[in-house]
Amino acid sequence: MAEVQQSSGGDGKKGHQKKMTIRVDFTPMVDMNMLLITFFMLCTTMIKSQTLTIALPTNEKVQNEENMSQASADDAITIIIDAKKKPGPTPGTLVVDSVNGNVVNEIYYYDGKPGGDTGMFGPGGVVLSANNNLKKSELLSDEVNSVGDHKARGIREIIQARNKAVLEKINALKKQLEEGKFGSLETKADREAAMAKYNEEASKVRKDENVKKPVIIIKSTPEASYRGLVDILDEMQINSISKYQIDNITDVDLVMLDDYRKHQK
Amino acid sequence: MGRVKIARKSTFIDMTAMSDVTVLLLTFFMLTSTFLSKEPATVITPASVSTEKVQETNVLQVLVSPKGQVWLTMNNDTSAQWSNAKMRVAMLDEVTQLYNAQHKNKISFTPAQKATFSKLGAFGVPLSQMGEFLSLADEPEGLTKMDQWLAGEDNNPKHISGIPIAKENNEDNLNEFQLWIKAARQAGNDNLSQAMKDGAGVAIKADQNTSFDIIHMVMDNLQTVRQNKFTLLTALKAGGE
Repeated sequence: MAEVQQSSGGDGKKGHQKKMTIRVDFTPMVDMNMLLITFFMLCTTMIKSQTLTIALPTNEKVQNEENMSQASADDAITIIIDAKKKPGPTPGTLVVDSVNGNVVNEIYYYDGKPGGDTGMFGPGGVVLSANNNLKKSELLSDEVNSVGDHKARGIREIIQARNKAVLEKINALKKQLEEGKFGSLETKADREAAMAKYNEEASKVRKDENVKKPVIIIKSTPEASYRGLVDILDEMQINSISKYQIDNITDVDLVMLDDYRKHQK
Repeated sequence: MGRVKIARKSTFIDMTAMSDVTVLLLTFFMLTSTFLSKEPATVITPASVSTEKVQETNVLQVLVSPKGQVWLTMNNDTSAQWSNAKMRVAMLDEVTQLYNAQHKNKISFTPAQKATFSKLGAFGVPLSQMGEFLSLADEPEGLTKMDQWLAGEDNNPKHISGIPIAKENNEDNLNEFQLWIKAARQAGNDNLSQAMKDGAGVAIKADQNTSFDIIHMVMDNLQTVRQNKFTLLTALKAGGE
C-alpha cells in the first residue's frame, strides 16, 4: 500500500528505464499518532456529569402560620442519615470503609411525630425510651431472584409500602407503555414520543392529590457524608415520591438517636 | 553440492493500515471528549440514578472541597455578546459594586487585572486579596503561582484560597459567596439569570465524602440569596435501578 510502482509506460523497448518503487515509511506517522492518542486519553474526559435538581423552600420566616404546609402525622416519615462512628473511648471518629475509603452512613427512620403521640419527654424533661419510635434501616439494592423479579429491601421496601397507591398506578402505566398503548416503540422518534406521553401521565399520577402518598422529611446529622443525602434523594426518585423535603435536624432527633444507640448495646 | 538458497525477504512492514487505524482513533477521541478543566481541588461526585445531563452553557458551578472551601467556575454562551471573558468582567464589576456598598475598605481593579480575571478558570480568593492575586499574572511564572495559591501550596499563610462563606448569614450582611451569586444574577446576562431562576444555572460539585455540615452551609447560603433551586452534580450509578 505504501509503495507506488512506476512503470515507464511504453513497451519497454526504448532504453531500459528502471521500474521505480516509491515507498513511504509510515512508522514515524504511527508513532506521532500514538503519542497524540495518549495525550487525548489522559487529558480529556468522556464522562458527562449527571445532575440532580432540587428545590428548597426560602429561608424567609413564614409570617402566616396557616400558610405553612403541615404534613399530617399519618403521612409523615422522617429519614435520618447519620455517619457510623467507632465505639469505644474516642467517640466521634468516623468508621471508614476499608475498601474504598468512604464514610459509612447509617439510615434511621420514624413514622409520624418523634416519640409517637405522647412525645419523647416525660415530666421534668426525662427521656422516655419506651416512646422512642426510631428504627434502623439500610440502603440496599433490589434482590433479584432467578425469574428476574425485583424485590425491594431495606429503606426502599419501607418507602414502597407507604407509597403503594402511587406505585401501583405507575406500574400500570409502565405496562401500558410496554404494550404500546402510548404509541409504537419501533423507531427512535416514536419511542421518544411515547416516553413523553408516559412521563406526562406519570407526573400526573405523582401529583394527584386524591391518591394517598407519604411526605418524607430528610434529615442528616452534620457528620454524615454528602453521598448519603444523594442516595436518599435517589430513593425518592426511584420510588416516585413527589413530596419530600430536606430539613434541619432537631434536638429531639439527636436525643432519639442517642437513646436508640444506648439501648442497642 | 547444491546449496539451499534462502530467499532474502525484505523486513519492511507496511505501516499504512496501522496509520489509518490510529488516525481514526485519534479523530474519535478528539470529537467525543471534552478537556478536563483545571480545578483547585479534586472531587469525586457521588453516584446517582438520575440521568439528567448537565447543562453545558450558562452554568455557574460551585466547587466545594471536603474542607469547606468554595470556588466558582463559569461556563457561558458562545455568543459574542456574553462570551466567558465579557461575562466575567461584568461579574467582577458587579461584585466590586456590591462589596463596596457593604464595606469601608473599598476595592477597585485595573483594566489589566480585569483582563487577567476574564481568562481565569476556577476562581476564588477573598475580594480583599483579589487585586494581589490578579497582579501575580504579570510576574514570571505567575500562572503557576496562581495555581499554587488556589491549591493552598504556596506556603504563604496570608494567602487564603476559597471564597469566604459562613454558616451564620443573613440578608442584611451578605458574605462574599452570596455577593458573587447575586453578582452573577445581576450582571446583565439574561440567559444566565433565567437559567439560575430555573435551577439549572447553579450546580454544586462536591466530593461524596464531604460532611453534610458543609453541604448544608452552602445550600443555606444559597437559600438566603433566594437561590432556592439548584442542581447537584452526580456521576451515573452503575447498574442503576
